[in-house]
Amino acid sequence: MVKHLTKAREKGGRSKHSLIGVAIVVLILIPFVIESPYTIHLFIMAFVAVILGMTFTMLFSSGQISLGGAAPFAIGAYASALLTLNFKISFWLALPAATIITGILALGIGWVLCRHAGAAFVVLTMVFGLVIVQTVGQVEEFGGWGGLTSIPRPDTIANIEFVGKTPYYYLILFVLLIVILIYNAFYTSRFGRILRAIKLSPHLAQSLGINLFRYRLMAFVVAAIPAGIVGSFYAHYARAIVPDTFGGWASIRIQLYPVLGGLDYYILGPAVGAIIMTFVPEYLRITKEVEPIITGLLLLLIIVFFPGGVLGVIFRSGRAMSLSGGINKTRSWLIKKISG
Amino acid sequence: MELFAQLIVNGLALGMLYLLIVLGMDIIMRATKILNFAHGQIYMLGAFAFYFVYSQFGLGFILSLIAAGLLTGLLGLLLYLGVFHTIQKRMASGMPFSYRLLMSAMASVGLMMTLQQAAVLTFGSKERGIPNVFPQLLTIGKVQLPLARLMIIAVSLAICLGLYLLMYKTKIGKAMRAVSYDAEIASLQGISPTRLFCVSFAVGCGLAGLAGGIVAPVFSVTLDMGTGIIFMAFLVMVLGGMGSYKGAVIGAILTGLLLSFGYQFIGGLGQLAVFIIVIVVLTFRPGGILGKALD
Repeated sequence: MVKHLTKAREKGGRSKHSLIGVAIVVLILIPFVIESPYTIHLFIMAFVAVILGMTFTMLFSSGQISLGGAAPFAIGAYASALLTLNFKISFWLALPAATIITGILALGIGWVLCRHAGAAFVVLTMVFGLVIVQTVGQVEEFGGWGGLTSIPRPDTIANIEFVGKTPYYYLILFVLLIVILIYNAFYTSRFGRILRAIKLSPHLAQSLGINLFRYRLMAFVVAAIPAGIVGSFYAHYARAIVPDTFGGWASIRIQLYPVLGGLDYYILGPAVGAIIMTFVPEYLRITKEVEPIITGLLLLLIIVFFPGGVLGVIFRSGRAMSLSGGINKTRSWLIKKISG
Repeated sequence: MELFAQLIVNGLALGMLYLLIVLGMDIIMRATKILNFAHGQIYMLGAFAFYFVYSQFGLGFILSLIAAGLLTGLLGLLLYLGVFHTIQKRMASGMPFSYRLLMSAMASVGLMMTLQQAAVLTFGSKERGIPNVFPQLLTIGKVQLPLARLMIIAVSLAICLGLYLLMYKTKIGKAMRAVSYDAEIASLQGISPTRLFCVSFAVGCGLAGLAGGIVAPVFSVTLDMGTGIIFMAFLVMVLGGMGSYKGAVIGAILTGLLLSFGYQFIGGLGQLAVFIIVIVVLTFRPGGILGKALD
C-alpha cells in the first residue's frame, strides 16, 4: 500500500485516495448492514489478525523474521487482564498500561534478541514465544494452564455500553485505522527506508553508518506495541484467556497472513491474507480436522508457485517475488548516499 | 546414589535423542540454508515406520531401525526435490537472504502442518506401543539402570560414530562439507550442489527417522511426539551454537541432563528453567556456547 500510495501520487491518481475513503466508509457501515453477531465476531477476529499480521511485516521490513508474533499479543492480554482483575482498574487505564508494559518488555527482550539475525533470530523469537506461554502456564499467579476467566468488560464510556458485538467492532476498527496510519507514516519515513536498506544488505547499510542493532531494536519495539494493544483488546473481548491461545501455532498463523497476502505490500498484504484466512475456512465449512492440511498445502502452493502472494498475482508482479518497486528505490537511495 | 545414576542415564538418553535430531537439522541447515520445521514430523513418521516394519514384517530391531532410517531418508529426498528445490531455484539470483530464509522456512511450516494432519487422518489417534524390546534392568553393583535407556545411548553413539565417519572420512562427506561452506566455490571443483543438497537433506531426515525408530520401542508411538520435540530441538540448536557440531553435542547433552534433573527436583518448572538458562547463555554469548554470532 505504501508503494501504491507513492505510485498513486506519482501518477496523480486521486482514485487511490478515494478508494481508501470508500473502504473506510464501508467498514464503518458494516454493523448497520450485517445483522448476524457471528459475522461481526468474524470481522473483529479478522481485524485482530490484520494488526498482528502487520506487526510481522513491520519486523520483516527490516529483514528479521519473527516466529514469536504471539508473544507480545500474550503479554498485552495478560498484563491487561491481570491489572483489571487484581487492581480493579478500568479497561481504559489498563489498555495504555498494558501497551506500555508490552513496550518495555519488548525493549528488554529485543535487547537480547536483536543482536542476532537470520536463522538464529527466527529460532530465538520462537523460543521466547514458548517462554511466555510456559511462564503464564506454570506460574499460578498468572492463572496457570487453566487461564484467566471473568475478565471484566470495558466500562461504559461516553454513553457507549460494551454489550453486544458492535462497540467492540468500532473499537478494534479505530485501533486498526490508527495502526495503519502510524505504520504508513513509519514506512514512508526515513526510518522505513533505513529498515529496507538493512533488509537489502545489512553490510552495505552498516558501511553507511547505520547502526544495525539500534534500528532492528526500534523495529522490534514498534512491531510489538500494536500487538500489545490488540492483546489487551482481545482479553477484554473474549473475557477469558488460556495460555494455549498464544502458543506456537498462533505465531505460525500470524506469519501466514502476510505471506498469503503478499510480502511486497506492507499494509494491504497482511490485511488481505488475514481476511482470507478468517472468512474462507468459515464459509467453506472446512472442519477442524482437514483445515491444517488445506492451510498447509495452500501455503506450500503459494510459496512454490506464487511467491508474490495473492496481491502479487492480482497486480501481476508475482514474477519471482518482484521486488522491483521497493528494493530498486532503496538501492538508488543507497547509491545516492554513497556517491555523496 | 541410585537415583543420581538413573537421572544421569535418563538425561543422557534424552540428550542423545535431541542430538540425533539436532544434527539432522544442522546438516540440512548448513548445506541448504533451510530451517526445517517439518523435522519433528519426519521423526514421528520414523517411529511409525519402525512400528509397522517391526510388528508387521517381524524384522529384528536393528533391521527395522535401518528400514526406518532409509524410508525417512527417501521421504526427505522426495520432499527436497518436490518442494524445496523448486523454491531454491526460484530464489537463486540476487534475492536478499531474509526472503530465501523466510520462504523455505514457511514452506517447511506448510509441510509440517500437512504431514502432521495427514498422519492424524491416516493413523487415527490411538496410541501404539511395541512390547518392550529391552524390558530388563541392568544391575551394576547396587545400582539398577533401565536397559532401554542405555540402549538409546549406545545406539545413538553408534549412529553418531557412523555419521562422523561419513562426514569426515568419505569423499561424499567431504563434498557435503564443502557445499555447506560455499556452494558456488564447491561447484567450481566439479561438485554438483543440487546433488549434494539432496544427499544432505536425505541424511538429515534419515537421522530424524533413526531417532524415531530408537524411541519407538521405549516410549509409546504417538502422533504428537513430533511437535513436542521440535521446539526443544530448536532450543538445543541455538544453545549449542548454530552450525557447530561440537556445540550441538554439548547443547544436547546439557539440555537432556537439565531436563532430567529439573523434572525430578522442581517439576514442571524445569522446562522453564532450561529456557531461562538458554536466554542467559545467549545474552552473554550471542552465538550460543560454541557458535559464532551471526550478523
